Amino acid sequence: MNHRHLLPDEIDLLLDDEVGFGVQPLKAHLEECDECRARVEEARFVVDALEDIPHFAPSHRFSEKVLAQVPVFVPWHVTARDTALRWLPQSRPARIAVAALATSTASLMTVVILWIATQSSVVAVATGAAGDQMVRGLLYNAGHEVLATVFGDQVFRVIQQTGSLGIAAALLGLVAAAGGSIAGLRALAAASSRRRV
Amino acid sequence: MPAPPALDLSNLPDADVVALAQKGRDTAFRELIRRYERPVFSLIYRMVRDRELAEDLAQDTFIKVMNHIDRYRPEFKLSSWLFKIANNVAIDHLRRRQLNTISMDGSPHAVTQDSIEATSFDVTVKQESALEEMESKELGTAIERAIAHLRPEYRSCIMLRHVEGRSYEEIATTLDLPLGTVKTYIHRARHELRKELEHLRDE
Repeated sequence: MNHRHLLPDEIDLLLDDEVGFGVQPLKAHLEECDECRARVEEARFVVDALEDIPHFAPSHRFSEKVLAQVPVFVPWHVTARDTALRWLPQSRPARIAVAALATSTASLMTVVILWIATQSSVVAVATGAAGDQMVRGLLYNAGHEVLATVFGDQVFRVIQQTGSLGIAAALLGLVAAAGGSIAGLRALAAASSRRRV
Repeated sequence: MPAPPALDLSNLPDADVVALAQKGRDTAFRELIRRYERPVFSLIYRMVRDRELAEDLAQDTFIKVMNHIDRYRPEFKLSSWLFKIANNVAIDHLRRRQLNTISMDGSPHAVTQDSIEATSFDVTVKQESALEEMESKELGTAIERAIAHLRPEYRSCIMLRHVEGRSYEEIATTLDLPLGTVKTYIHRARHELRKELEHLRDE
């Protein structure tokens, strides 16, 4: 038996549930020494009592009082997003209906612009009052350039030749692209929120 | 459709809630208060022993943290930052009160017995009544009284160690003290508490 009694630091090691090579001999000593065991139990009584004491709660209006004194700065993009979210309906069918309506409106407007741009006569009428042939030519060429850059020269020519049928096909393509984009963004957002939680 | 998951912050780690607070999310501020109002209030209350005052000081702590939330560094635990400010706020108050204790025995300008009594006051009555209000069990009462008798620096160390379950290293970082000093304070606090609670253990 080791006759040296435990030092105060050694009792602290045991109270803190330290593990390691140095602690094992201390525990072995405790099993043999009634005096040291009594001292450790006495100290453990205090630690247990401390660990059992509860937290106190402040008054129920505590958070309100704090927040009333903290100026919360909300960046503009967060405000804009929150406002947009407030306008969106909560139910899934209603959101789908809103998305469909928005996509249809955007598509319709795109088609109208496309049609105006491809009808040189409309451009001519619109600019006829000015009677300036050069302005008409410039506008037509600009519209042609934009469409050819965005959709390709072939598509432009097909739309010009097929008239309303081509426009309908372009509309369908646009709706499909918009639907695909929405589905993709939703999948990305869902994956992102799962990662965060 | 269920509410967006971002609104339910209770499962998010502190760093994520702070990031939302830095973006100006009101709900994130509320969540931080909800998480830490009790630990912070308890630490301060046990330091100053006055419920009303503790609530004011806990408010000051949260206001300081939230006004400087943009300075928060994720490598530092949010709770440690909060406890650091809470401890500083409480210690500052105790230092100021210590300076004011000169006047507890009456104004130095009072010359007659009546004027001395008229200008003196006793803080013990208020402290004891606050204690009685919140403590019910005998051991709970005894341990609260024993903690109240500790030196403030021992008090914050022992509370962080045994009530908040912090490591010695965390306490040293939180209170800006050398590790050895923290160990010494906790050892002495345990020793003093043991002496004060001796009679309960013998019963």
